[in-house]
Amino acid sequence: MDEFQEILQDFLVESFELVEKLDEDLVELENNPEDLELLNGIFRVAHTVKGASSFLNFDILTHLTHHMEDVLNKARHGELIITPDIMDVVLESIDLMKSLLNTIRDTSSDGGIDVSACVARLDKVSGGTGDVETPIVEAPVVEEPVVEEPVVTESAEEEPDYDNMDPDDIEAEIERLLAQRQEEDKAKRAAKIAAGESVPEAPPAPDENEAVSNEPEPEHAPVATPAPAAPPPPAPPARASAKAEEDPKAAAPAKRTPAAVEQTIRVDVKRLDHLMNLIGELVLAKNRLIKINVDVEERYEGEEFLEELNQVVSIVSLVTTDLQIAVMKTRMLPIGKVFNKFPRMIRDLTRELHKKIELEISGEDTELDKSIVEEIGDPLVHIIRNSCDHGIETPEVRLASGKPETGIIALKAYNEGNQIVIQIDDDGKGLDPEMLKNKALEKSLISEKEADTMSDKEAFTLIMKPGFSTAASVTNVSGRGVGMDVVKTNIEKVNGIIDIDSEMGRGSSMKLKIPLTLAIIQALLVGVQEEHYAIPLASVLETVRISKDEIYTVEGRSVMRLRDDVLSLVHIGDIFEVERILDTSEHAYVVVLGLGTQKLGLIVDTLVGQEEIVIKSLGDYLFGIDGIAGATIRGDGGVTLIVDVVALMDIAKGVKATNINEANSSEQLINEKTKPSDYCVMIVDDSKTDRTIMRKALEPMGITLIEASDGQEALNVLKAGDHQFDAMLIDIEMPRMDGYSLATEIKKYNRYKNLPLIAVTSRTGKSDRMRGVESGMIEYITKPYSSDYLASVVQRNVNFKAEFL
Amino acid sequence: MSDKLKQIINKQSEQQKADTLDQSDDIVQLVGFIIGDEEYAVPILAIQEIIKPFNWTRVPQVPNYVLGVFNLRGSVIPLIDLRLKFGLQSKNHNDETRFFVLKQGDDVAGFVIDRLTMAIRIKKENIGPAPDTLSGDDTMIDGVGKQEDRIITILKVDKLLERDF
Repeated sequence: MDEFQEILQDFLVESFELVEKLDEDLVELENNPEDLELLNGIFRVAHTVKGASSFLNFDILTHLTHHMEDVLNKARHGELIITPDIMDVVLESIDLMKSLLNTIRDTSSDGGIDVSACVARLDKVSGGTGDVETPIVEAPVVEEPVVEEPVVTESAEEEPDYDNMDPDDIEAEIERLLAQRQEEDKAKRAAKIAAGESVPEAPPAPDENEAVSNEPEPEHAPVATPAPAAPPPPAPPARASAKAEEDPKAAAPAKRTPAAVEQTIRVDVKRLDHLMNLIGELVLAKNRLIKINVDVEERYEGEEFLEELNQVVSIVSLVTTDLQIAVMKTRMLPIGKVFNKFPRMIRDLTRELHKKIELEISGEDTELDKSIVEEIGDPLVHIIRNSCDHGIETPEVRLASGKPETGIIALKAYNEGNQIVIQIDDDGKGLDPEMLKNKALEKSLISEKEADTMSDKEAFTLIMKPGFSTAASVTNVSGRGVGMDVVKTNIEKVNGIIDIDSEMGRGSSMKLKIPLTLAIIQALLVGVQEEHYAIPLASVLETVRISKDEIYTVEGRSVMRLRDDVLSLVHIGDIFEVERILDTSEHAYVVVLGLGTQKLGLIVDTLVGQEEIVIKSLGDYLFGIDGIAGATIRGDGGVTLIVDVVALMDIAKGVKATNINEANSSEQLINEKTKPSDYCVMIVDDSKTDRTIMRKALEPMGITLIEASDGQEALNVLKAGDHQFDAMLIDIEMPRMDGYSLATEIKKYNRYKNLPLIAVTSRTGKSDRMRGVESGMIEYITKPYSSDYLASVVQRNVNFKAEFL
Repeated sequence: MSDKLKQIINKQSEQQKADTLDQSDDIVQLVGFIIGDEEYAVPILAIQEIIKPFNWTRVPQVPNYVLGVFNLRGSVIPLIDLRLKFGLQSKNHNDETRFFVLKQGDDVAGFVIDRLTMAIRIKKENIGPAPDTLSGDDTMIDGVGKQEDRIITILKVDKLLERDF
């Protein structure tokens, strides 16, 4: 009872959400009838509602949505153009669907609304005759009470006994209920046959249920069925609160055992979300504190207060981590909440498909973030339906191939590192990679060449392409080629990955790997030029340092050999349009990304490290940038973008290799010098006097002089790019950044490769001169010097034109 | 004592009400700023804050006028250079450059402007419509304010905050 109610609640909440979305989409569709994506989305909604309602036995709803789906499917394949007329019919059917859902919400059954006219129209649209069987309206009305009533009765009257019953008695009771249920089913089938076509006939005299259900009829009175035997359980119709209020009522009389009751409190999810956000901020502040601590340590080495500071920082960071875990736990739900609805689903499917299937569930206590639990319900329904329909063979076939008659589907959940793995195994016929490839070729989802080079594992992932279906015919259960597409979309939405494995004739296994939580993740920070990017650690397989000669070019794409495999490479700078100004060294780092069966090597300049990051959205204005999943705020207060690995892999396919050995230098502006002041020289010296002496020596030439008082300042002036310098005079001993470091830094920039750097110093030692040369200085002037000498050296180095002299 | 206090508070709130009525009647409050050679203005209520420039992070695959994103006390906010957006050359930031953070509903973005001028109170009757050649749904110009010898272009905040790529 509780279980059914729970599933029903979930179904209603979900359906209303979907329908709400549907309304928007349909309006949009009328404006853009060509939009395939939109059509796909609408179709998926119909598909999902149909799937769920069919296993909840809402026959009328299923019937209606099935026909909607037919129409939409045709439109999706381009066999049907959506005209306003067709749109009217579709919209009408959606209105009907809404009122059916409302009826279900209020009465737990979908009787009382005549859909036959609309279904007939839908059928006509999709090319049928319009002559459609409509399930008998009262059928579900009879059906529902059977599911609902006896239990309701018990919860009101007999339930207290359950606690005190022997296991045997309970067994017996269950037997009785099942038998009763089967009886009803039989009766229903008989009634269907007898009733024939779509005439809503008076319901058969309600049985024992009538006796208990003499409460007044709720407001939905105008129903085709007279005083239906199915007034809802005592729960009030308000859907969210219904369960909440009902539970204690039903349970209260049962509490005779003095066993310690778990103390719980209901909290609005919004409050938890808010708490989670605050924790996110705290984690950022903690990262920042740690960074500051490191800086302070460097500056005040050996001071006593450092010890104390260290202690405080580590306590704060420890407590923050604990707090984060604690709050995360409050949001965790056992995955059993999702698993619960499957036994019933399997039962119904076995009947429908005439197969024998057993479901084994384990690990239902594994906990997952609430938002994720909500997202994975749909995908699991689709996967299990698929396993039942395509995976497990009929008993005859199974016996013939030497397998036990009953097929087994095992549903497992377990922790693996920072992830939860949900594994669905079946011992059915398995996937045939060749057949999958052929099908995909037929539907031109892949090219001939792709098919040839495809590994078996890659072939399995074909089943997740939109529009792909291997079923020979479209059944109520599957075969339209949307199911697995839904799975992929939903799992990717929660940053999960899908791993499919299969062996012909032995069965297949599907693993969904899902991160524990969405908001805070571990990331690998990488650097390219002066930018940083964060890559979710879950998608990083390994990192390798390679020399640039190890990169080969094959058919215009970079590849490298990684142990026995060939790994295709792409430079992160090519994907994110990073300007290459810095000349990087001989070596590069390759981050090997893995996503299911796909692998890709991402070339980066530096690896910065691993960090815990809080995902923030980029907002509406920048929403949907390819390859960027969001942003995070780093310890230094800067913003770092988070790489969307899924999108990145797609982009990478279209990126041509750029030869990273010849990073193209940015366009050099070679201005013709027309007057002496076009020449520009920077003087870098910490002493004002020295700068003035140099200025005095060079001023007579009439060239432009810019001064900087230390290396750091000089670098900033250079980077600002306000002037095009022809030479730099650099003192060696300066605060903040000395002359050698400055020269080294400057030479890292490609565009300054040929900028003459002239050391002007009082250091005269041979080793000093050597260091100067090593760091890229081309002239070495020792103090003191004559003004003429300095001027002549500068003239020589800037190629001063003789006519200006 | 508390009665007295109440009286005073009541009086004050009445006064304020009167004040606001007065203002909302025919005065519009704007903040003016310069981009290139032109003076523009936006309604003062749309401004969340005005801050000095600091570091931002470039975002790939966006038009050049979207400089990137920056961190405003924990929120990640897009940064748009109005010089580039208005088709002018970009210019290095100097002491007068400011980030203008505009907010409407949930949409927030920072805009780089050359310099601030002043808060402007202008009578509604002194605001004319945008020139005919520029009006239409696509224009960013809400109207043109005339004040003494100046002409101020008033921008539409929702258009500024609208993504147009």
